[in-house]
Amino acid sequence: MESPPLVTSDGELIVPIRADVDILLARQKARALVMPLRFSTSELTVIATAISEVARNIVSYAGQGEVELAIVQQGARRGLRVIARDHGPGIADIERAMQDGFSTSRSLGLGLPGSKRLMDEFQIASQIGEGTVVTMIKWEH
Amino acid sequence: MAQQEQDWSTTVRRSNGGVPVGLPAISEQELLRRKDFLEISEADLKRIASINDLAERYADSVIEDFYRHLLNFEETRVFFQNPATLQRVKNLQKDYFLRLTQGNYDVAYAQNRLRIGAIHEQVGLPVKSYLGMYNFYLRAVASKLVEGFPKRPADAWAAFLSLMKLTFFDMGLAIDTYVYSRERTIREQQEAIQELPTPVLPFREGMLLVPIIGLIDTQRARQLTEQLLRAIRSDRAKVVVIDITGVQSVDSKVANHIVQTVEAARLMGATVIIAGVAPEIAQTMVTLGIELTRMTTVGDLQSGIEYAERLLGYTVTRAPHKSIPTA
Amino acid sequence: MRASIMKQSKTLIASVQGSMTDADLAQLRDELVIGVRQHRSTGVIVDVTMLDVMDSFAARTLRGIAQMVKLLGAQSIIVGIQPDVAFSMVQLGLRLEGTRTALDLEDGLELLRLLENGEPAVGD
Repeated sequence: MESPPLVTSDGELIVPIRADVDILLARQKARALVMPLRFSTSELTVIATAISEVARNIVSYAGQGEVELAIVQQGARRGLRVIARDHGPGIADIERAMQDGFSTSRSLGLGLPGSKRLMDEFQIASQIGEGTVVTMIKWEH
Repeated sequence: MAQQEQDWSTTVRRSNGGVPVGLPAISEQELLRRKDFLEISEADLKRIASINDLAERYADSVIEDFYRHLLNFEETRVFFQNPATLQRVKNLQKDYFLRLTQGNYDVAYAQNRLRIGAIHEQVGLPVKSYLGMYNFYLRAVASKLVEGFPKRPADAWAAFLSLMKLTFFDMGLAIDTYVYSRERTIREQQEAIQELPTPVLPFREGMLLVPIIGLIDTQRARQLTEQLLRAIRSDRAKVVVIDITGVQSVDSKVANHIVQTVEAARLMGATVIIAGVAPEIAQTMVTLGIELTRMTTVGDLQSGIEYAERLLGYTVTRAPHKSIPTA
Repeated sequence: MRASIMKQSKTLIASVQGSMTDADLAQLRDELVIGVRQHRSTGVIVDVTMLDVMDSFAARTLRGIAQMVKLLGAQSIIVGIQPDVAFSMVQLGLRLEGTRTALDLEDGLELLRLLENGEPAVGD
């Protein structure tokens, strides 16, 4: 892997997530933040959808947490990094949570594999009783 | 012979004309490998050095004979019509000829040979002609060598063999440039094909036809789906026929992509028919666990179009038989 | 941001006006159910043209609307899902199973008419 992405001088924007209205807020803040970047309308929708899912997980499973948004740079390209953090119960079986079949119907679920498909980079760390951190990046293309 | 990994890192150089020329780069190890294979020894290098003086004396006449020969043949004459070009090339060839016996056949030497090869390739000289030139050289030099080693024919012969080894070394480099250039052209053409937008064709009112041509990678597949969904909106399409007759094989990525496209189209109120599904592809999709029952698939494009027309309520009828006037 | 519900003879047309919070979506669902009962509607169209993002909650809610409305004897059609939204949805695995869809309000109303008259429709 190349040099790690660096947060630009604008710094990080933290959106506290406590209720469903904050999910919407996180999406709106992200849209505003990435305006100077070269994302197509399609990519903007994709980003907003992924943020919605991870923010929703916080509300549904941890009660509260935060979504951190930052513009990052790696070499010549820029991107949006989204970190969803909570101190909730944690995910017991990450592997299973990250599984899904494309052709099976997805009723209730954590939306994690979907979010991974939507974004370019995706990492998840979770400890039972400690909480969960999901890190995602979407790069300009 | 074991397949050797070529060290193809590209450096772009500018030739005298200011035209960018793409060249393969060559490593020390690769040069050593080639010299080993040709069995170029220290003794060879000594013998070649010993004929350097001779080469300098005869350079001009060899070059003159060389170009006289080239200008005799239609195929090669065309490249040297312009007198300025001819003179420039003669000078280059003379340098080339002299350099052959000056020793020190290192990476810089190889790069120089590659560059000259590239120039010839750039002007369009066929590789057979270029190799034919080496043939002329060797024969021209051979006759001079006999004169240069009076009463020592064995030494003349040994010197000739050494020179021949080196000439073959040079020819290898010349061929490299031609191959490299050919490969680069192919790569550029492939990239150009990749850039071609996949057509989404309005077929009848309410119907779209999407022929899939060539390889699909994830990027293109994604572009295609986005394009299709926008076309469904702008053309108000209710039925889409995706023709995969031209698709050789379907891996899980492509299959999943087809499924996603079908589902996304449905969300926009359109039905997708996959046409041109060969039995092997149907088999692959079943193996991959793709729920074919969720999709409408047909064997050939014609059937797909007819099915789509029926869905839209079209019936295609032939006009009553009319005699076609002959000219 | 909210949604508006309009009555057009026996059809209810709900238009989403922009970004919806979870509460907004739930409220829309509840109001539609009440409306169908009250007006004895035979059809419901949910127009999501202005919905910028469809996530798992929104998808669940729409499916819920379809199911509940069906129990009350009415047909429902989701219309206006935009290309970008449709694309993101399928990436996420949201398929809106058990719902009917159409391109927009015009097509949705036409589809309702066909269904109510028992005529065959494309995609059935």
